[in-house]
Amino acid sequence: MIEGYDISKNFGFPVQRVLHHLNFKILDGEFISISGRSGSGKSTLLYIMSSLDHPTEGRLILDGKDLKFLSSKDIHYLRNTSIGFIFQFHYLLPELTVIENVLLPARNLGLIDSKKNDAFELLTFLGVGALVSRYPNELSGGEQQRVAIARALIMKPKYLFADEPTGNLDTMNANIVMNMLKEINLKQKTTICLVTHDPDYSAFAGREIYLINGHISERKKDLLF
Amino acid sequence: MVSRKKQSILILLGISFSTLLFVSISGVQLGMREYISQVLLNNTAHVLISGAETKISHADMTKVFSNNRDLIKWTDLPFGLREEMRLENYSSWYQLLEQDPRVHDFSPRLKTFAVLSKDKFSSAVNLIGTIPEKTVRISSIEKYMKVGSFLDLKDSGSVIIGSGSAEDMGLKVNHYLNLILGSGVTKKMRIVGIYHFGNDQADRTLAFTNLNDVQVMTRNPGRISEIAVSLFDMDESNSISKEWKKLSRDNVQDWKEANQSFMEMIKVQDYSRYFITITILIVASFGIYNVLSIMINQKRKEIAILQAIGFGPEKILRLVLYQGLFLGSVGGLLGISFGYLVCLYLERIRLNIEIGGEHHLWISFDWKIYLMAFLSAFFSSVFSSLIPAFSASRLMPLDIIRAE
Repeated sequence: MIEGYDISKNFGFPVQRVLHHLNFKILDGEFISISGRSGSGKSTLLYIMSSLDHPTEGRLILDGKDLKFLSSKDIHYLRNTSIGFIFQFHYLLPELTVIENVLLPARNLGLIDSKKNDAFELLTFLGVGALVSRYPNELSGGEQQRVAIARALIMKPKYLFADEPTGNLDTMNANIVMNMLKEINLKQKTTICLVTHDPDYSAFAGREIYLINGHISERKKDLLF
Repeated sequence: MVSRKKQSILILLGISFSTLLFVSISGVQLGMREYISQVLLNNTAHVLISGAETKISHADMTKVFSNNRDLIKWTDLPFGLREEMRLENYSSWYQLLEQDPRVHDFSPRLKTFAVLSKDKFSSAVNLIGTIPEKTVRISSIEKYMKVGSFLDLKDSGSVIIGSGSAEDMGLKVNHYLNLILGSGVTKKMRIVGIYHFGNDQADRTLAFTNLNDVQVMTRNPGRISEIAVSLFDMDESNSISKEWKKLSRDNVQDWKEANQSFMEMIKVQDYSRYFITITILIVASFGIYNVLSIMINQKRKEIAILQAIGFGPEKILRLVLYQGLFLGSVGGLLGISFGYLVCLYLERIRLNIEIGGEHHLWISFDWKIYLMAFLSAFFSSVFSSLIPAFSASRLMPLDIIRAE
């Protein structure tokens, strides 16, 4: 479960507050979307939820652990084992093949051999099983993003954070990716937090956090607590 | 994950070149040093004990004439050596040297000046009277015998001369020559051997004969002028000579002290060798720093994603350091391999001049040169990778993702 208590985030000088005293709770296995206009603080909230950023004020509890009190080593371990990321850009390493990219998180824990079969299965499930030996620059945008999803899922994370994963894709590939996320959520019970500004993709989620200038919209607030 | 291939190859070449240079310069310099050490130093002895030279003082001379100093007025003060150098208490030295476990062996000598004469030709030499068995044990002279053996000197009336003198005077083994001392004493000697150090001056100005013969000719039976001592560990020579100096008024000199100017030359050689190598390594290190810094700048996205998927700062630091280690070790290995080949090539070049009996450069293939060259390349690469590695490990993934 992800719990946020009184989360605020400031940036820059003079100080600009991007998130204002947000309170939320995301249950295990939920698929939620974070939406809102550009600059409303969607990505900032996602990064705070996923341990990539710290709130200026407030507490973020992930699986009962307050992230503020975790060491850098513990946070990296958490990211490695319990959290998966998908970004708008795939961020695949160009020198590594598809399979090597997917196995990167496993490599960090010395689990390459034991995760190889999982990687093949995941890539097949995502429809890119035939491309394991290719390099990222030999793939289409949709294929690259699917490989990035495989990399995010290889450690079977409890939480998957996706920041506009369809932003660089055409409609067809975007729909494929969204359907896959939905399927992963249903089959593997992975908690998914998706940032999107597209209402069509927001509809894939069971719940929606709608942000307006760093505040959770009154309209949707009842869905949170 | 070696990136920026062209620059990496250039840096690899830079490190290899500096290592190669260090290996080849060291090979030539240490080879020359080995040659000079063998020819000059090993024949000098690790420690040389010789009689102290006492000079005439007017106070001593005054006493000869009267105990009342006031009665004697010198118009011209007496000066000069009291007598030829001699080791007075050599039997005590023999006893000490025989009992000291650090001493490998020792050889007493009597040195004097002489003229080799044959028909109308003559040549001035330093005549060294020795005990051949002992001299062979404390020096490598037997290695430089061109004809005959140094041990052949044991028979009275025999002499060993240098190849230069033999050539000048048209002499061969079993030929006879006259040995004339400064006092005019002359003795007919049979040539039993010819040595060849490969050093023109040494090959013309030294002659060896039996210690007894020199003692008889100089009419000083039992007299010796010095004792050459060979130690088990020549690096101990300095401390041992200091220790022995306290025991007597005799001169005790270790080989470093006796060849001080040579040692200074070695120091200057070492400084220049290290200076060249350090300069090149610094340039190569800046290259490594530059390549890694550019690489990190270009790979910010990848570093960010690695951090996002759980690679901690220490792992990122290690990843970058490995690149520096890779460049350093591969560059170092290539450098010592090519350096070895260059040394082999240099050794095969035929020279018109003679060095130590050979017509090529003396090259040292001491393993320490190669180890030092590799370690210098390796550690300079590690140090130059540290700053880029630290800066990579401090990158915040979010700053980079946000900037996209």
